[in-house]
Amino acid sequence: MIDLLTGMLSTAVLAGGVLALAALGEVLAERVGVTNLGVEGLMSMGAVVAIITVVATPNPWLGLLAATLAGAAGGMVFAFATVIVRANQVLCGLAVTFLGLGLSASIGHDYAGVPSPATFGRVPVPGLSSLPVIGPAFFGQNLPVYLIYLVLPAMAHWVMFHTRHGLAMRAVGENPAAADAAGLPVTALRFWYVTLGAGLAGAAGGYLTLTYVPVWSEGLVAGRGWIALALVIFAGYRPFGATLSGLLFGLITALSFVGQARNWPIAPAFLNMLPYLGTIAFIIVPVVVWHRMRRIMAAPAALGVPYHRDVR
Amino acid sequence: MAGTLQRQPTVTPARRLGWRAGAVVTALAITTLFLALSGRDPRLLADLVVRSTVGSRFGLEDLALFLTPLLLTGAAVTVTGRIGVWNIGAEGQFYAGAIGATAVGLFLPGPSWLVLPLMAASGIACGMGWILVPALARAYAGVNEIITTLLLNFVAGLLTTYLAVGPWHDRVTGALASTGRLPVRIPEIWGVVHWGFPIALAIVLALAWLTTRTRWGYQITIGGANEQAARYAGIPVRARILGVMLLSGGLAALAGMFEVAGTVHRLQGGLANNFGYFGIVVAVLARGSCLNVLPAALLMAFILNAGIVLQTQQLTSSAVLAITGLVLFMIAIADELAHYRPVTVRPTTTRPATGAEARP
Repeated sequence: MIDLLTGMLSTAVLAGGVLALAALGEVLAERVGVTNLGVEGLMSMGAVVAIITVVATPNPWLGLLAATLAGAAGGMVFAFATVIVRANQVLCGLAVTFLGLGLSASIGHDYAGVPSPATFGRVPVPGLSSLPVIGPAFFGQNLPVYLIYLVLPAMAHWVMFHTRHGLAMRAVGENPAAADAAGLPVTALRFWYVTLGAGLAGAAGGYLTLTYVPVWSEGLVAGRGWIALALVIFAGYRPFGATLSGLLFGLITALSFVGQARNWPIAPAFLNMLPYLGTIAFIIVPVVVWHRMRRIMAAPAALGVPYHRDVR
Repeated sequence: MAGTLQRQPTVTPARRLGWRAGAVVTALAITTLFLALSGRDPRLLADLVVRSTVGSRFGLEDLALFLTPLLLTGAAVTVTGRIGVWNIGAEGQFYAGAIGATAVGLFLPGPSWLVLPLMAASGIACGMGWILVPALARAYAGVNEIITTLLLNFVAGLLTTYLAVGPWHDRVTGALASTGRLPVRIPEIWGVVHWGFPIALAIVLALAWLTTRTRWGYQITIGGANEQAARYAGIPVRARILGVMLLSGGLAALAGMFEVAGTVHRLQGGLANNFGYFGIVVAVLARGSCLNVLPAALLMAFILNAGIVLQTQQLTSSAVLAITGLVLFMIAIADELAHYRPVTVRPTTTRPATGAEARP
């Protein structure tokens, strides 16, 4: 039983890390008022670029870097269309998803089924990693886990809520006209935060193929980008909210593995549905049960609205 | 005299069409460039595409087969768009419709004139059921429907594969991941084109009438344009959102029923072939008008049919998805750019204070 819990928690941390990283990226983009529905495609690009990089140079950090850059490049294209040209964000997001899924499958055609030659190894923290149950899960993981669960959200939280720059960033997402009148560079802030968020989505894809599912295949991302998008709502657009909800959904994913491993009398197909159904339940139930939730978890006021200085 | 660009609030249809044509041409030019860079002869491919789509009878039949589900899924996404709701879950409702239809077709013996309508009814009911929870959550709790409808697509895909591999698996011929052949089929009218095609056409025309010429359609347009004003005017916006989303689920499900009973004849994983997602592209091209779904679906069917040809030339099916994404991306940009017109600023020293400039 203890072994089972330990294994489940370890899987949850790994599976959740992918979602947490992508959700954190989307939090950055949505806080400046841009919905990037292209996460699924960007993650797919990141995943395939990471594999291609580590096949060429067996260094997982280079793979993760390449995945981040691929995501950021895709994000720049998206940000050019939505922030500079100010085209419809839903359409551009769907287009980036189609493009990313199609391109990654085309590029990755020759790499299908090739196991990743280099992955992030486990780096146990001395002493702590031998704690029962939580030791291996939280202190016996690879290094990026700490980056995803602690360093990045802490940085994002500090910048967002404790600096002047963070105030400017949130103002742009709440009321771009007022921010503009106060002299803030609305377009630049939106452009770079969307790009940064897309870079994290690419990194999430790379993290997926460098640790959790170390082999490329078409459809590998399997809706994780969309789950990450839903987690942003569930997280109330907060960095640590994104991290925690990522971990929660990692647990749900791990639950379906445990079910299959222990031969629960449920078909694996139904266990595989759990993360999707869980996500739906988690974004519907809170607002139905507790009405104040809507105000606490409110989206940035200008989310999804392009800002035209000359048209009021 | 200084020239500058000014954003116009409205765009004439001709102007938009011109920009969009430019967008499609740009997207195809980029595709051609990529094909040429990867060592293929674009002219040879273009020739092949034309001959095997509009240039031959078989090509035209295939085009009509692609067109049938696209008309319905395109209309499904278009009707919800009219009330300001995105149904990204047409793919899942398509599967639900196929599952509902297959359940009746496999397990209810009877003459086809009786079984086929029952299959359609069962399929439509399943599709409506599939969108019911997202629709209720959107209408009465304001929950983002893009994500809820989309996530159900993955559930529907898993359920279909489970049924095709598990309980409904064809044990007679042992075909991989597929149910047995359905005992009934939609009769053909022209080559391999079945009656689903004219029915889908008629449904789209009926929807065009319903959305633009009836009280119900008017209420939906107003609800989509300004929800607060519509509610103030006494329009039951929530009930309309629910109704439109259920209609949308039913339409996508009917596409699934046609596909399983008219074209594929068995339920199998991957049956939906991204038709639900391509329905979104059709709806975007149609810009909320059900009548425009006809030319939009035709363009999409042409791209998909061309994709089949490209697959015979060692290109993966995913290349078609990327090309579709590129077309969609270019059109999104063109739609916005169409708003801008060059204006020349007259060198007046003082601006005349007339009331005219307050109006857009």
